[in-house]
Amino acid sequence: MPKDTTTIPLGPQHPALVEPEYIKLEVDGESVISAEIHLGYLHRGIEELMQRRNYIQNIFVAERICGICSACHTLTYASAVESLLDIEVTNRAKYIRTIIAELERLHSHLLWVGVAGYEIGIDTVFQYAWKDREYIMEILEEISGNRVNYAMNTIGGVRRDITDTHAEKLKNIMKIIEKRSEYYKKVFATDSVILKRTKNIGILTAHDAKKYSAAGPLARASNIRFDIRNEKYAAYGLVDWTEITAAGCDVSARAEVRIIELEESAKIITQCLDQMEHDPLVMRAPSIVPVGEATFRVEAPRGEIFYYARSNGTDTPERVKMRPPTYANLLALKAMLKGAKLADVPIIVASIDPCFSCTDRVTVLDTKTRKEKIMTENELRKLSK
Amino acid sequence: MNIAEIFIYPGIAFLIITGILLSGILRKITARMQSRIGPPIIQPLYDILKLLSKENIRPKQAKQGFTLWPALSLVSLILAGLMVPVAGITALGAGDIIVIVYFLAFGSFAAYMSGFVSGNPFGAIGAARGIMQMISYEFPFIMALLFPVVFLNTLSIAELNAIQITSGIWNIYLFPIAGVIFLISILAALEIPPFHIPSAHQEIVGGYSTEYTGTRLAYLELSHMVKLVVVLSIAIAVFLGGANTIYVFGAKLLVLIFLITLVRVLMARLRIDTGLKFYWTLGYILIIDYVLRILL
Repeated sequence: MPKDTTTIPLGPQHPALVEPEYIKLEVDGESVISAEIHLGYLHRGIEELMQRRNYIQNIFVAERICGICSACHTLTYASAVESLLDIEVTNRAKYIRTIIAELERLHSHLLWVGVAGYEIGIDTVFQYAWKDREYIMEILEEISGNRVNYAMNTIGGVRRDITDTHAEKLKNIMKIIEKRSEYYKKVFATDSVILKRTKNIGILTAHDAKKYSAAGPLARASNIRFDIRNEKYAAYGLVDWTEITAAGCDVSARAEVRIIELEESAKIITQCLDQMEHDPLVMRAPSIVPVGEATFRVEAPRGEIFYYARSNGTDTPERVKMRPPTYANLLALKAMLKGAKLADVPIIVASIDPCFSCTDRVTVLDTKTRKEKIMTENELRKLSK
Repeated sequence: MNIAEIFIYPGIAFLIITGILLSGILRKITARMQSRIGPPIIQPLYDILKLLSKENIRPKQAKQGFTLWPALSLVSLILAGLMVPVAGITALGAGDIIVIVYFLAFGSFAAYMSGFVSGNPFGAIGAARGIMQMISYEFPFIMALLFPVVFLNTLSIAELNAIQITSGIWNIYLFPIAGVIFLISILAALEIPPFHIPSAHQEIVGGYSTEYTGTRLAYLELSHMVKLVVVLSIAIAVFLGGANTIYVFGAKLLVLIFLITLVRVLMARLRIDTGLKFYWTLGYILIIDYVLRILL
């Protein structure tokens, strides 16, 4: 039978995707008939690695899972281990953890605003947003000494303090960010060409979002209240903040949610800085963890990060399992891409803010039969031969 | 018509050097507007020299014409350039607007054809988009050019240039709607945002030039740069008062480049269907304008 559609590979290497992942598109002219998502180009065996290192070493492994949400991974991991050890961290440590997590959300969302501009072909938004992002990156570097892996969280607290000079600078930066976020809100809500490329593009209805268990800003833009910060981990119970949702269900709504969250994050950070008390930064944690299992959830910039840790009474975890947000959001992509125009594919893929280095686990998802298949060790060996 | 005029000024060498400088200036102003430093103005020259020194790779799936179409594109655009008056001198003698438009269209067509024969799905989609974009902008582009031709009663572009210089009245005053619409059509002809649809690298990688490397890519890049000069020269000669000295010509080119950069910096990319609707609406506006002018 002659094929009347063209297969367009989106990846593994493609300018629209920073990370190697393969989305196979069947297109008829410019319309997408179907999309298949193939994962696994970035599998690094992190979970296996974590079973061979002790709890302290694993912090550094968790930090390196993702280049953007590095602090969220360590926060989730450390909190899960703390609940195994039954340790409560000090208030100051809680505030510092919150500040770093929110700074991370700020720079991640600003990065997204830039990438969204780039995907719809307006490089100026990209340049502006990434310039604003530098304020955050520089203060993070000043606080922690690093721009990517801050190494702030440890089991039992944080490793570095936020001094008064840092606090002063942070407050000034938060004022700048609030002003810039107003500006981006205006740009994304009023610019007619941007609206043409984002309004009613990549629709994910609330029903579909629930069906595919979307998380984070993607779910909130489909008008679903789903923010793990409501569970009041770290200092989120101690400060005043609102959960942002939008009813648009399209790319424009996702931009709106992320841009308003910039302001919310700025508010949270300012409050944390005002409320911080002088407490010790870190509690002593024993290196042997009692037998038990624990789970912990954190709202990363892209959605829910879930960690499961099981201890067998040694200094090495028996099992650490993680579920990052992109894994939840990728499934929704299939629904969003169906029937889209080829020109809209990059912005739709970008609108879930995918992070494939978080996502690639051993689970292989067969989109044709919609069956999940866990690869056994032997199968993996066969593949690697 | 003499050899120096054809090969040096205002001929082939002038067209290529101006094209390189103009695209360099375009990149530099864009960078400054986006608060970047940007590349040096002669960066396109470095790019071309580098491409010329690179290995020429011919993919297995490439069809016949893989070398021919890029070369034809450059040749055809240079021929169009030779017929357009630069600072009052026309290298090939008095050019006929219809012929110029044909060579211009064939230059773009050849560039897109090189995408079709490269045997790459991105190249094919880029080419299809390019041809669709041609169908959309050529209609208002030619309609607008016909206004001065019909109402000033000459087909010669050099004569249109001369008429404006002697009378001192720019054609854009006489035909404001046609002039503005012509300037808007330029954006699509030059693939400037919001109409950089055929080369949208976020969607289709390199577009029609995806498979090209080395000398062949240099042909395609050069033909794009020459197109920039030719199209802007037509705009100056037909609508923007013409030019009889190189200074006036250069100044008008720079102003046009600045305006184009402004649009380029401010615009996101439209989708091909939106672009088509947009340009055909402009075409119909021109038809109404034309009918009204004939009747009244």
